[in-house]
Formats: sequence, C-alpha cells, structure tokens
Amino acid sequence: MVNIEDLKEEARRVLKEGKVKYIIGYERASDSWKANPVFLRKPEDVDKLVWDPTCFHNLVRFLVDEKRRKAREKPADSRPVGIVVKGCDSRAIVILLQEKFFERADVFVLGVSCESSGVVDERKLAKKTTGKSVRKLDFGDKQNFIVTTDDGTMGIAASEVLADRCLDCIANVPVVSDRLLGGKDKRTVARPFHAVEKMESLSQDERLTFWRDQFKKCVRCYACRSACPMCYCEECVVDTINFAVSADTPAEEKAQRIKWLEKSPVDSENVFYHLVRAIHLAGRCIDCGECERACPVNIPLRMLNKKLEKEAKELFGYDAGFDPDQPALISCFKDGDPEDFIR
Amino acid sequence: MGHNVYLPKAAKILEIREEVGGVRPIKTFRTAFLDGGGFAYRCGQCAMLSVFGKGEVMISISSSPLVKEYLQFSILKTGRVTTALHDMEVGDVIGIRGPYGNGFPLEEWKGKDIVFAGGGIGLAPLWGLVQMTNGRKEDYGRLTLIYGARTSKDIVFHEELEALKNKMSVHLSVDVAEPGWGEFVGFVAQNVLDKKPSPENAVAITCGPPIMIKTVIKALKDLKFDDAQIYTTVENKMKCGIGKCGRCNIGRHYVCKDGPVYSWAELKNLPQEY
Amino acid sequence: MDKILAKKDYPQWLAKLASYRIYAPRKKDDVWNYELLTDPDGDRLEEVMTAVPAKGIVFPQREFFFAFAEKDDNGAQINELLPEDNPVVVFGVRPCEGKAVTLTDLVFGGEFEDPYYWRRRNATTLVGLGCAQPPSPNCFCLSVDGSPHSKEGLDLLLTDLGETYYAEALTKKGKKLVLEGIKLFTDPKPEDRKMVDKIQADSRKKIRRELSLIDNVPAKLKGMFDSSLWDDESMSCIRCGICTYLCPTCHCFDMNDEVETVSPLSGKRVRTWDTCQFPDFTMHSSGHNPRPDKASRLRQRINHKFQYFVEIWNKYQCTGCGRCISLCPVGIDIIKVVEKVRDHGA
Repeated sequence: MVNIEDLKEEARRVLKEGKVKYIIGYERASDSWKANPVFLRKPEDVDKLVWDPTCFHNLVRFLVDEKRRKAREKPADSRPVGIVVKGCDSRAIVILLQEKFFERADVFVLGVSCESSGVVDERKLAKKTTGKSVRKLDFGDKQNFIVTTDDGTMGIAASEVLADRCLDCIANVPVVSDRLLGGKDKRTVARPFHAVEKMESLSQDERLTFWRDQFKKCVRCYACRSACPMCYCEECVVDTINFAVSADTPAEEKAQRIKWLEKSPVDSENVFYHLVRAIHLAGRCIDCGECERACPVNIPLRMLNKKLEKEAKELFGYDAGFDPDQPALISCFKDGDPEDFIR
Repeated sequence: MGHNVYLPKAAKILEIREEVGGVRPIKTFRTAFLDGGGFAYRCGQCAMLSVFGKGEVMISISSSPLVKEYLQFSILKTGRVTTALHDMEVGDVIGIRGPYGNGFPLEEWKGKDIVFAGGGIGLAPLWGLVQMTNGRKEDYGRLTLIYGARTSKDIVFHEELEALKNKMSVHLSVDVAEPGWGEFVGFVAQNVLDKKPSPENAVAITCGPPIMIKTVIKALKDLKFDDAQIYTTVENKMKCGIGKCGRCNIGRHYVCKDGPVYSWAELKNLPQEY
Repeated sequence: MDKILAKKDYPQWLAKLASYRIYAPRKKDDVWNYELLTDPDGDRLEEVMTAVPAKGIVFPQREFFFAFAEKDDNGAQINELLPEDNPVVVFGVRPCEGKAVTLTDLVFGGEFEDPYYWRRRNATTLVGLGCAQPPSPNCFCLSVDGSPHSKEGLDLLLTDLGETYYAEALTKKGKKLVLEGIKLFTDPKPEDRKMVDKIQADSRKKIRRELSLIDNVPAKLKGMFDSSLWDDESMSCIRCGICTYLCPTCHCFDMNDEVETVSPLSGKRVRTWDTCQFPDFTMHSSGHNPRPDKASRLRQRINHKFQYFVEIWNKYQCTGCGRCISLCPVGIDIIKVVEKVRDHGA
C-alpha cells in the first residue's frame, strides 16, 4: 500500500533542495470528493498531496503546457518539473521522450504504483451509491475501496467500480521514474483487448451506425483532445488556423491552409474528427482513459483508440510507451512487417 | 422584425487600385450596391465585407460620407478573406452589411484644429475623415496630417497626399532614409515631436500598428495634449459586428459596436487587452 | 392561472400537444439531454440536470443564416434561411435555465435584434420544473439572485406535489399550453397552495453550496486585471470548451461560410457556438492575440460573468447551475475562484 507520507516526504525533499521548478501532483479541493491537479512550489505545500482512487487525471498533460510556458519564460529556468505519475501516465512520458518532445532531464518523475488497484469510474460509483452524495473515497485493502457518503462509510469491491482501463491495465507500475513508491508486482491481463471484441463481432454497418449514433451527442468541446498529453500539435488538423504564425507569415500561406473540418457538430465532421484523432494516436495512445472521462456526454472514446492499439500489437508487435529508445510506430518499419494490405 | 442584421447585400467592385505592392500589399476597392441603394454612415464607421465561401472581415469605410457614388475600402492582405479580396477583379460581387461602430465624434470637434497621425494602413480609417474635413473646411480649424510608412513604397494614397499638400499641412515620413526622399526620416511619433502641433483647441487622432499608436500617444502627451484630446481607433478580431458573438470585447465594450473610436481618456481606463 | 395535473395524466397532456414539437429530458449512456419526443406514450417527466442546457433549443449549436450562390451574370444570390417558427415546447426546464434564457434575451435583443434567436424564442414555450432537491451537488442558484423555484424566463412552472403537479401559468404561452389539455386539469385546493409554498421554501434550505457576499466582486475584479490569481487558477485548465458550451448563459458564437459546391459556388453561412476558452477565439490574422494564454482567458470568463455583464445589465451572467464545476475535467471551480477574488487582499 502506498503511504502518502512517503510521497509527501519525497516531494518535500526535492522542493527543499530546489531541484525542481514545481511539482505537479494531486490535491483534493474542500468542496469536492475528487482529486484535482495541484502545482506545488514550496516545501510546505506538499501537505496538500493526496493519493486515492480519484487521482484519475493524467498529469503529463501539464508537461505540454510547461514546454509552452518555458518558451515564454524570461529568464529561462532550466530545472526539471516534478510530476506524480501512475503507471499509465508514465507511458505518456515515454511517448513524449520517444518523440523528442522534451528531454529526460526535463522531468523528475515521482512514480506511484497502483499495485493491484486503480482509479474509480464515477458512473460506476454513482450506480453503487444511488441517491447518496459521495464525500470521500479511499483505498481500502487490496480488494476494496472505502466510500464515505452522508450516511456513513462502507466498503465497495474495487472490481465493481474500477475504471475499465484499470481492469485492462498492462502497466500498473510506472515504467519510468526517478523515485518509485508502492508495490512493484506487475499485473497480467488475460485478454487486454476484450473491450473491443464485442464491437469487432458486429458488421461494418452496425459498427458505423453505433458510432454515428454516439457522435450525434458530440458537442465538439474538444475536451478529449485537450485532455490528451499526446495531442500537442500547434498546427492541428481540426483547427482552421495555424497557431504557429507570426507577423511575417505570408498571407497566401494563411489563406491556403486547408479547412479540413467545419466547426459545425454534424455527422460528417464529428465522424471525421474522432476517427482522424484516433488514427493520429495509433501507436501513441497509452490508454490513460482521460479522453473518455473528460467527455461530458459519455462517448466511449477509449474503444476507438483500443482498436488501433490492438492493431499495433497484432500487426507490428508494438506496445506504446514502454521503451524511450524505441522509435514511434509510424516512423519505423521492420522487414517482416505485414504487406498483405498492399495491393 | 424588419431588416436582418446578419444579411449582407450584394455589391459590385467598381474599381481596384494597388496602393502598396510587395509582401504586405494594400489595395483600395470602390464598391456600389447592385440595387443602387446605399446606407448613411459617419466617418470612422466600418462595414462587414463578405467574400462568399470564404468569410467576412470588418473594414473601415475610407470614403467620405459626402460621397454617394461608392463605398471605398483600403484593405491589407493578411489572411483568408483579404487574400480572396485581393484576388478579385473589377465587376466581381461581394457582400456588404453595415455601417457599424461609433464613428468619430465630429460634433465635438467643430471649430477645433485637427491633427491626424497615421502609420501604414492606419491612414485608411482616417482617410474618410481627412476628406470630409477638407470638404467642410469652414467647420474646423487647422488641419494637419502627419503620416509615415516603412518605405515610400508603403505609403497609401500617395498621389492624393501630394495633392492634399495644397489644402492642408501634410508631413510625410519613412522609417529609414532612402534615395530621393526629401522629407522627414524616422518614426511617426518622432515626426510628431518634430512638427510640434499645438494642443490649443485641438484634437488628435492616431491610427496604425499598436506600437505606433502607443508611441504617438506618448509624443502627443509630451506636447501637452490632454488624454481627452487624443483619439484612436482600435481593432480586434470580429465576426458578428454587432456586439453579440462575444469576441471583440475590451472590458464591457464591444469594439465593433461601442468602438472602434476611443479617446485615450476612455481607453486607458479599459483593461489593456487588445 | 393555477391548475393541478395528476402525474399519471402527463402523457395524455403531451398527446394533446400534437401541434408542438416537444422536447423533454432523455437519458442515453447515463447522460441526460433534451430530446425531441417522437412518441410521448408512457412518458415520465424526469427531474434531472441535462448536460446541454435548454439554451440549445432557442440558440442551437448550429444554425443557418443564409444560403449564397454564384449567379451566371456574375451576381450573387443571397437567400435568408430563417428558422421555422413551428411551436416548440420544452418540458423539465430547471429554473436556472429559465433565468439564463432571460439573460441571453438581453444579449440577442437590443439595438441589433437577432432574428434567428427571436424566431425560435418566440415560438418556444418553456415549462419549468421546480427543484424540490438540488439536481446537482454544485447548485448555487440562491447566490446569484436565483432560486430553485424561480419563475424568471419560464412560461409555466410545475411544482411536484407527489402524485400531482401544481401548474402555474406565468405567460400567455403557458396558459395556452394548459388550455390545450384543460380537461386533464383541475382547480387547486387551498392545501395544494400551502404544500407548494412549503416545498418551495424547503427547497431553498437544501441548496448545498454558497457563493456569498459577492456585491464587491465586480468592483474588485476591475482592480485585479494584472493579478497573479489568474495564472494560479488557470494552471490546470486544459482549454477545452466544456465550461462555456454547457453554460446556460454563455452566448459566444462563430460565423463561417460552409461551401457546398465550388463551381458554381454555393454554400451557407453558418452560426456555431464558440468559446472564449479556445486559444484562437481572439487571435488576429497577424498572429497577435489579446488573450494568448490560459490566465487571460480564465480572467475573461470570470470578468464577463461577474463584472462586464453586471456593468452593462446589472445582473450576474451566471445562474448557479454548477455545470461548469461538475463537468470540468480538472475541477476548476467558479465558486472558489470568485471567492478568491472576493477575499483578495483582505
């Protein structure tokens, strides 16, 4: 079991030594039962840190912001940023290292193992605690969560409320870290892609109908894209402008930028957006599940990415985000790669 | 319900003149509505020009309201819609709706000296005013124009400016010396300090790139112009033009509707977010 | 006009409203949204908070302004595309959404009336359902001049009395709706009214969250433009559009030309929702951006709601529904932010 005091101690030490600019971790706001991202700058701030099943955010997303911030910083502070990561989050760091988004020395990784547990799925928890407002959620022993509501405290079998991605998790222990807390026993998953098996059994028409029906709900808030650490492009396909313009960019260049997508949240545009985003994440998605969690209308986005993750594994033997020295999936090839789709 | 505020009317391009070439070209367009109609407007107001299929841009009307035959717009090529406009030819049809904005408070300026300080494309929003005040000289005091651009090739309305020298004080400048240039060399703000217009019973209007506006306002204040005597036009990204889409605001003001003309006394009290 | 409707008769009332397009909350994948009812048989009026608020009915996320087409003689055809004005009724509207519509009415009215908004608005009857319990743990309507049984913006207010609804017709449209099914309604007894008053009074005590003593906030905000508060509070913002798209009072929009055929050119000018939280919202063509970072954009959202709107209309541009708090993926809490403004420098 991870001891939060150990985490606080590590964080305190690193801040005291001035080793990092700040640490990104989890805190709980007073009016909420859920953890929120927190940015700790002073050693005394570390008392805000929490570690519980509501630490679902992928904080690596804020390392993308840090890079933008650093570019504007005057004078530049070249110290690394500290970050608390779960196993899945750590794989995102690996992807960003593979893609040379930043250097290893730019992050100080405080890895926390989920051991045999994980984070909670709010919807599943709401069903379990019908009608009662949740006040607090803690890790119990290996198999339980402890939920506190207005009516008191009770234990819940973790397996009933764990996020789906935790049930499918192949990286419960962070794969990269400067400090590692918690048990190092790795989980094994018998059928890591079972989430997509049902969908695969449907015909193409049935699948298209399913997704078009789901995308009808989409309001194109782009929370899915915004929550993903790997969606860091300044010039994104869905934006009608290129953010990397200056006063010297010729007008023609701006005028000729292709408008791939209309802003309208209609069938054609929504399907295009989600499928293109999934394809752009092929071999890069590490299934932190944030896209699906962030979605305000509960579109099961994970499934799209999981399908491509399955293809990457089955066609190319590729697992995203384990080895920083491994090249990105779409930037390399092996002689034995399948060619049967080349006609 | 009446007239639909979002609906442009078709207008034909009557004339196109290239003012400035190169990488930051400026063209002046003269347009007239296909149905022969028009709208009344005040100096400093703007209109939304539509290139159908591309979008709309808010451009200040640079012809004097006394001119009824056409609406004139001087447009810098900078993005999707303005590039499409620059690619158009005489006879092509665009959409126009307007007029929008508050315009210059001319009633308050009657009898006063007016100092116009512009840079680059910034002369365009002032041009209608320059024309109109020259057309009604009896209503105003001394008219002075201090205008400059990066190079002599970037000067807009160059021929008209030369002709204007007969009617009012016109002081031109370029940023850097060039062969054949006999007038002031330096930034517009420096030219303002050099020509020392008097703040006595005067107002000053400045328009141009943000940095030029800042330096000219400072120069005018150094010459003892009051904040309430200094005016400028602000620009922001706009879409609806009528203060509803929420994007062009500076504080509680929508630049499309409550602006674009502001006195420095007003503007300095708004959040400096433009 | 006050009437009583037995809950079991609600579907029959819907059946009498065949000339209306009827919207009511529907659940799909654990999310509630207003859906067009095609078959009201056996319907139940649900007491929920939808994800997309009722503003989406009078101010939809996408609508057409006009169609344009190139004409042979080098002219251009511009065809206005006003929305249909078939009568619409929305059931299950929470009072905070009704109040929010009165705020969007201010924005879309005035000197330049928005014909698209008003055609829909005038054709829409809003049937409110009072909140005996707060539908969200983050409700704070009382703090922003609202209430769980507020009548503002509604045409009819239903209060749940257990087996019946107490229906208060507030406008001509509301009365018309009752008259359509008048045979199903009975007159209330004095104890019904007493029960309504009690439920409404009790509901106020159940609101959990508070944003108190904010009279000084508009003035406070004026002096906090350069405060480091905005940077601190926006650190975890991921710049999505959830807080604004799903806010019942937010009204920012975009206008774009969607081309359907290139030669000859034809297409439509389309309005879609937009948000001040997207980085390109205020970005000029030159690349200059008055709000280039998350701090300035958070500042704009809070300032718009608690300063600028107040300066123009003397009302907060927030009805305390709590959607932005509940749905923000990183838990940015508008109550907390405004409290920090209120207490700043104290």
